[in-house]
Amino acid sequence: MATVSNWIDHLNKPAEEVVGAIYPGVGSEGILVLILAVIWIGWTVVSSKQESDKLSKLARKRPSSNAWKSNITDG
Amino acid sequence: MTDELGALTTIFTEFYYWITVVLMFLIHVGFCMYEVGASRYKHHQHTLMKNTMLIPLVTVTWFLFGWWIYWAFPTGPGLAPSIMNESAALITDDSAFSSKWYLPNSELMAVNLGDHISGVFWAAFLLFSWTAASIVSGAVIERITTFAFGILAIAIGSVFWSIDAAWGWHFDGWMLKILGYHDAYASGVIHAVAGGFALGVLAVLGPRIGKFSSSGEPRNIGPRNPWLVTVGLFLIYTGFWGFYAACNIPIYDLGPEYGMEGVTYFTATTIYVTPTTLSGITMNFLMSLSGGLLAGYVVSKGDPFWTYSSGLAGIICASAGNDLYHPIQSLIIGMIGVVIAYKMHYWVERRFKIDDAVGAVAVHGYAGFAGLVICGFVLNGYPSSGYSVGAMWDGTTYAAINPLGMFIGAIIMFFVLGMIPGYIIARVLNGIGKLRIPREVELAGLDYQIMEEAKEDEKTVASSST
Repeated sequence: MATVSNWIDHLNKPAEEVVGAIYPGVGSEGILVLILAVIWIGWTVVSSKQESDKLSKLARKRPSSNAWKSNITDG
Repeated sequence: MTDELGALTTIFTEFYYWITVVLMFLIHVGFCMYEVGASRYKHHQHTLMKNTMLIPLVTVTWFLFGWWIYWAFPTGPGLAPSIMNESAALITDDSAFSSKWYLPNSELMAVNLGDHISGVFWAAFLLFSWTAASIVSGAVIERITTFAFGILAIAIGSVFWSIDAAWGWHFDGWMLKILGYHDAYASGVIHAVAGGFALGVLAVLGPRIGKFSSSGEPRNIGPRNPWLVTVGLFLIYTGFWGFYAACNIPIYDLGPEYGMEGVTYFTATTIYVTPTTLSGITMNFLMSLSGGLLAGYVVSKGDPFWTYSSGLAGIICASAGNDLYHPIQSLIIGMIGVVIAYKMHYWVERRFKIDDAVGAVAVHGYAGFAGLVICGFVLNGYPSSGYSVGAMWDGTTYAAINPLGMFIGAIIMFFVLGMIPGYIIARVLNGIGKLRIPREVELAGLDYQIMEEAKEDEKTVASSST
C-alpha cells in the first residue's frame, strides 16, 4: 500500500520521478471515488427518511404554536 | 522544486491561498450566527444545522464534479473557442488547465509533490461555493426541509455557480470574449447568481406563516437576537477580506504571459490575470463597506439589521470593478447599490408576496446585479483580459468591458443561472412533497421535539440529589 518506503531513496531519484502522488494506494482512485459517491447518496437517503419520520411524528402531535414556551429550560 | 526562487514563489502562493481559506471560513461562521440571530427561538437549532450540513454536502459534490465543471465549461460549450486548444467543445483534452486534471480520480486531487497549488485553489473555490449556498440558506429559514435545502445547496454550490464561474470568472471564459464581462470580486458570479437562485426558490416555497396578513400586508418578523446578527455580519465582513485576497493571483510575471518578449513585470493579478494591487483593493473594500453603511443607515432610518446588511451590500455592489475603481468611486457605487437593494426588497415583498427572511436576495442579488451594470459604465473601454489582440485563436481580441455586455452578463447571472434553475428545482421538490415542512411543525417550531426532550432531561437532573 505504501507508495514511498524510504524518503532518502525517493528524493534521490531524478526530479521527474520525485514529483507525483504519494498517498497510499496510488492507482485505486476510481474505487475511492465510487465509495465517496455511495457515502454521499446513502447519507442523503438515510437522513431524508429520518427527517420525514421526525416531521410526520411531530405533525401528528399537533402542538400549539405557543406550546414550545413551556419547554424552555434554564436550569 | 529545485531552485530557491521558484520554490519560494510556489510555497508563498500555496500559503497565501491557505490563509484566504482560513479567513473565508469566518464567512460561514458569520452566516450561521446571522441566520440563528434572525430566526425565532423555536427554530434556532434546525436553522443552524441546515446551514452547517451544507458544508459536507457541497464539499463532497465539489470534489466529485463541481471543480471539474469549472475547468470544463469556459467555452460554453459551443459559444467561444478556448485560447488553450482552439476548440469550443468542453475542455477535457490534455491541454494546460484542462478539466481532465481535476476529475475526482486525478492524481492531482490529493497530496502530490508535483503540485502545491491545485489543492488550495480547489479549497478557495469551495469556500466560495459554501458562500453561494449559504446565501440561499438565510432566505428560506424556518420552513424548508433539510433534505430540500441540501439538494438546492448542491445545485447552487456545486453546479450553477461553477458554470457561471467557468463562463465569467475564468481567463478563458466565453463571457469575457464575447460580452466583455468583468467581475473581479464576484458581484455577479457569487452574489447575483445566489440571490437570483434564492428568489426562484422563494417564489415556490412561499412565506413563513404569519408573514402576510389576510389582506396581503407584510408584517415585520425582525431578528430575535440582534447581537448575534451583528457579530455574524462582522464575521462575514472579516471573511470577505479573505475572499478578496483569494480572488487574486498573488504574484505573476505578466511579460511572458502576455507574450511580450524581454518584458518582465511581476504583479498581483485578478482571476482574469489582469494587473491590480492588493493594496488598492484593500482601500476599495473599506470604502465600499463605508459607503454601504452610510447609505444603509440613512435609507433604513438607522435600523441596525439593514445598516449592517448594507455594509455588505455596499461591498458586493462595488466588487465587480474594485480591482480598478478609485476608492471614492467604490464608496459611491456602494451607496447606490444599497439604495437599490433596500427599495427593491420592499417593492418585491409587497408586489409579489416574497418573504426573504434575511434580505439575502436584496443584499446579494439586487446589489450584485446593480454592481455589474454600474461596472459596465464606469469601466467602459477597459480590456476584459490581458490576452489581447493577436493572442486569440483567430487573431481577434477579447471584447472590452461595455455597458451592454455587462447588462447581459447580469441577466445571465441573476436569471439564467440563478432564478430559473432555483425555481425549477424547487418546483420539482415541491411536486414530490419534499420542499416545505408540515404546517403543524412550522407552528410548533422545528426544535419542538429537541426542546421537549431537553426539558425532560432537565427535570430528571434537577430532581436528582446526587
